[in-house]
Amino acid sequence: MELLGNLGMGLGVALSLTNVFYCFLGALLGTLVGVIPGVGVLAAISMLFPLTFTLEPTTALIMLAGIWYGTTYGGSTASILLNIPGTPANAVTCLDGYPMAQQGRGGVALFMTTVASFFGASVGVILLMLFTPVIASYALKFGSAEYFSLMLMGLVAASTISDGSAIKGLAMVALGILFGLVGMDTQSAAARFTFGSLGLLDGISLIALAMGVFGVAEVIMSIRRVGTSSIDPESVKLKAIKPTRDDVRRSWMPMVRGSTMGSFFGTLPGTGPSIAAFLSYAVEKRISKTPERFGKGAIEGIMAPEAANNAADQTAFIPTLSLGVPGSATMALMLGALMIHGIAPGPTLITSQPQLFWGLIMSFWVGNVILLILNIPLIGVWVRMLMIPYHLLFPSVLLFICIGAYSTTYNALSVWQVCFFGVAGYAMRIFGFPGAPLLLGFVLGPLMEEHFRRAMVLSRGDFATFFERPVSAAIMAITGGILIWGIWTSNKLRKRRAEELARET
Amino acid sequence: MRKLLTAAALMLGLTQGALAADYPSGTVTLVVPYSPGGNTDIFARHLATALSEKWGQAVVVENKPGGGSMVGTAYVSQAQPDGHTILLTTSAFATAPAVYKDLPFDPVTEMKPIGIVGYVAYILIVNADTGIKTLAEFVEKAKGSDMFAATAGLGTTTHFGMEKFLSDAGLDLDIVHYKGGGPAMVAVLSKEADVFDTSVPTAADQIRAGKLNALAVMDDRRVTALPDVPTTTEAGYPDVQVRQWIGLFVPSAVPDELVEFINTEVNELVLSPEFQAVVAPIDINIETSSVAEVNVRLSNEMAKWKKLAEERGISN
Repeated sequence: MELLGNLGMGLGVALSLTNVFYCFLGALLGTLVGVIPGVGVLAAISMLFPLTFTLEPTTALIMLAGIWYGTTYGGSTASILLNIPGTPANAVTCLDGYPMAQQGRGGVALFMTTVASFFGASVGVILLMLFTPVIASYALKFGSAEYFSLMLMGLVAASTISDGSAIKGLAMVALGILFGLVGMDTQSAAARFTFGSLGLLDGISLIALAMGVFGVAEVIMSIRRVGTSSIDPESVKLKAIKPTRDDVRRSWMPMVRGSTMGSFFGTLPGTGPSIAAFLSYAVEKRISKTPERFGKGAIEGIMAPEAANNAADQTAFIPTLSLGVPGSATMALMLGALMIHGIAPGPTLITSQPQLFWGLIMSFWVGNVILLILNIPLIGVWVRMLMIPYHLLFPSVLLFICIGAYSTTYNALSVWQVCFFGVAGYAMRIFGFPGAPLLLGFVLGPLMEEHFRRAMVLSRGDFATFFERPVSAAIMAITGGILIWGIWTSNKLRKRRAEELARET
Repeated sequence: MRKLLTAAALMLGLTQGALAADYPSGTVTLVVPYSPGGNTDIFARHLATALSEKWGQAVVVENKPGGGSMVGTAYVSQAQPDGHTILLTTSAFATAPAVYKDLPFDPVTEMKPIGIVGYVAYILIVNADTGIKTLAEFVEKAKGSDMFAATAGLGTTTHFGMEKFLSDAGLDLDIVHYKGGGPAMVAVLSKEADVFDTSVPTAADQIRAGKLNALAVMDDRRVTALPDVPTTTEAGYPDVQVRQWIGLFVPSAVPDELVEFINTEVNELVLSPEFQAVVAPIDINIETSSVAEVNVRLSNEMAKWKKLAEERGISN
């Protein structure tokens, strides 16, 4: 009953005219920032940060949050239409979204990802409403040993993302980890692989790597292919966005699974929407009866990650609001907006600022409905973006990529990094090395190292710590299971392929 | 009131000689060597707004995070020495060089201070479930135990503060580095680590909520936010004095009279009741000093941390 009262109060706050306006503004800006590849959510929020000095803290947070989840809605658009992730969290959506667009099903893909986004976000918000006061305590059960085990599981599960040669996939994971080592070692302050460059002290920029490998490389590839837009103008029309009954049937379970995984990973500091999206894609591919469809426009491959990253966006607020512990730089900015107004984030926030807490949560509903309404009619506009001649579109995409990379560090070195990874990414495409495992190794590698070394300090050098702590042991067991399952299914697949070959000859 | 201040500032400006009278002749950039959103960043943004009103020129904040604040510091050391690029950093300026050996620049010879304008007090905390309430109790329990001491990262003020306390108390706890104050605090809340020294504003709420116990404020005076918590001086460790201060720096080629001018201007601004009211919510204590005082204080502090780093073997 108390919950209903709180929800009612929150809705009252969220539906005030000012708050609805700023929620709309945030969601609209977020979508725009998401659609334009390269302009990251962190850059967008820090640019608008000073605006929040003059706003009420609740209103300020509602707007910033709108930008945050809005980008994930918009980010899938660039992934599907241009094969360039709008945000890192949408990178995996490229794998099946872009093939769908090439098959003339871009409109369907955009429509369905909007639905998946809304579904995932709804699950996230419901969990946020019900469990924030309770769920925060389980984040405290996760120590360094558990984080390491979890990331190991992520890497093992996601190594199946790589299409084709497993050796090439593994090589890319290893290369990604190697790139991740660049920079200052957090435990000893030794500079690694920086070649005396101060800019590299903080490591290679994630944005630069993702934009280079996925964005620039794609642009170069498309130029080589020449020709005008391969998208059928008919697919722009509103009627062309209607999914088939088969699409809808295939989408249900991936959305449910994606939302569940996303909600879980969103609450853990340091994982966030990108990893949630990667893992849910890997799981869909693993459990699918027809894994060979993935990477060729399987609708499951866009529904699961888009539901996952949006659910994670919402549940990321659980540790931020309940513990005052931000899971990412963006969440840290949200807390900064509160601190400016003298509100100390922490376990007492919910009781001391109920208007703010429940108002913010209810504004997520308002924002998500706005995004749903905003996105579906705009699909036509986004798809028409592809009608822009390539000689105009590609230079502007490259420009936005460079601006985006520069704005994360305000350092020209990031732009050079984009160039480097663009060339490297192009070479990788030509030789058939997959980009997704590289990105995953790059993100997870340094985190794994940090947690591994801390776990070692805490256990005073005893490796058994990973198997003695119950949560870590359980994750390790699942990891082992995935590994065995992986070997077993790939064996089966090989046998089936051999049989098919035998039949043909 | 503001008009009066502006008038006073103008008159002051007139007496400062030609160089300072022209200043600022364009956009002034405050470089913050941390990500946006933290206490220091928020302070910088308030200062930038107030300064641009005072000077009638745009004053903007630029974030250059990384390398334990050293990336941003190095950036300013290479900037034009015309006073239009100012570093706004923390006491990490004094601690980090004692740890980071491969820096491609020398913060002592290539930078010089304008002034220190504020500080945040530090506090020693333990999980409330331990039942440890005082510093004496903690030292007793920690002697010969297998406890872990958390820091917000190698070379941070929390790291040096912790090492100083352990050294003075004769304790030999294992140090665990976390990536920032948030994760270190969670480690204490989840009992992964046993003790942590953090800034008062970040811990005050958890202390009031009864999740953490405050052992001592690492200063010689108590803090208003937690008036019942004794200081390290009261507890018998008068040398354990750790303040995360906020200071302004410029490249060392900036003329001394310009440095003096900016010092006077900034001091006057931060002491104004309007500015104090604006920054009150972020719990930063305002303090001011002359350029000469800051130079003495800075070299003392750097020598102290360097010596500690050598004694405790943390300089590799």
